[in-house]
Amino acid sequence: MKFKQGITEKNIIVKCSADKILPFSLVFGIYIILFGTISPGGGFQGGVITASAVLLLYIGYGYSTASAAVKQEVLRVCEPLGATLYVILGLCGIVLGSVFCRNVFFNDGKIGDLVSAGNITFMGWTVGFKVLTGIGFLILLMLGLLAPEFKKTKDPDYELMVDEEDEEEGGDE
Amino acid sequence: MSKAKQAVAIISVIVVLLAAVYAVVFAYRNIPVTYDGADTNVVDLYNDPQSYDVSDPDGVADIIVKENLDKTMAVNNVSAVVFDWRGFDTLGESFILLTAIAGSFVILGIHRKKKNAGKEENKE
Repeated sequence: MKFKQGITEKNIIVKCSADKILPFSLVFGIYIILFGTISPGGGFQGGVITASAVLLLYIGYGYSTASAAVKQEVLRVCEPLGATLYVILGLCGIVLGSVFCRNVFFNDGKIGDLVSAGNITFMGWTVGFKVLTGIGFLILLMLGLLAPEFKKTKDPDYELMVDEEDEEEGGDE
Repeated sequence: MSKAKQAVAIISVIVVLLAAVYAVVFAYRNIPVTYDGADTNVVDLYNDPQSYDVSDPDGVADIIVKENLDKTMAVNNVSAVVFDWRGFDTLGESFILLTAIAGSFVILGIHRKKKNAGKEENKE
């Protein structure tokens, strides 16, 4: 079984289309997260759409640029933070005298406003934040195995193979 | 031996399928239709769900929608169900994702450790 090499060649067509699609995917995904409670969509779908920006970065520019643009440590910390925020917002129902995940802050805004559904809106945002960071971190983890500076040798573990081309490409960018 | 097992399996599958077909035909012929959604005015229901007329006996779904919006004080019924009535379900879904990412981080963490170790060695 061959060990697949990651994307190293930068085709101009792929690069330009990644440039064009990336801001639209970011804006569209964040829109779906924000308006998930009053329109079709939701946290999961918007989070996955937003996390596809990482994949577009990898397709257009390779793993080095993608991992430099998106900090893995920040995503790793932010994902459990989103889950914790969801649990805290769910516990607000118990604190204010009802059951878990009860809609409590409902007397704000008119119908159709961004913040009009009470606690449900914020819970949808936390789910979107959590899925965004989690899927982005997962994509970066899996693409790390395809990174071109790693090559499978006779040992079961991966050894570091630093090529001169990679260093030059990193210097140009 | 294997042929006998295969024959038994095929016969049992056929019997189950025949029973299912019979049940579907029986339900289609004998069980009356209580709600088919013919008299539901979706536009009025969407525009003004609080004051929609639910006196129609065909409007069970309207009653459900109105009660749902009254109890949860939400705007969208789907988000009310997902985040209020079934909040534990959403919590479990997000924790499934958290567990999957934690597992893949543990498995693929070898790669990250190797990478960092290699960089440190090169720097030294």
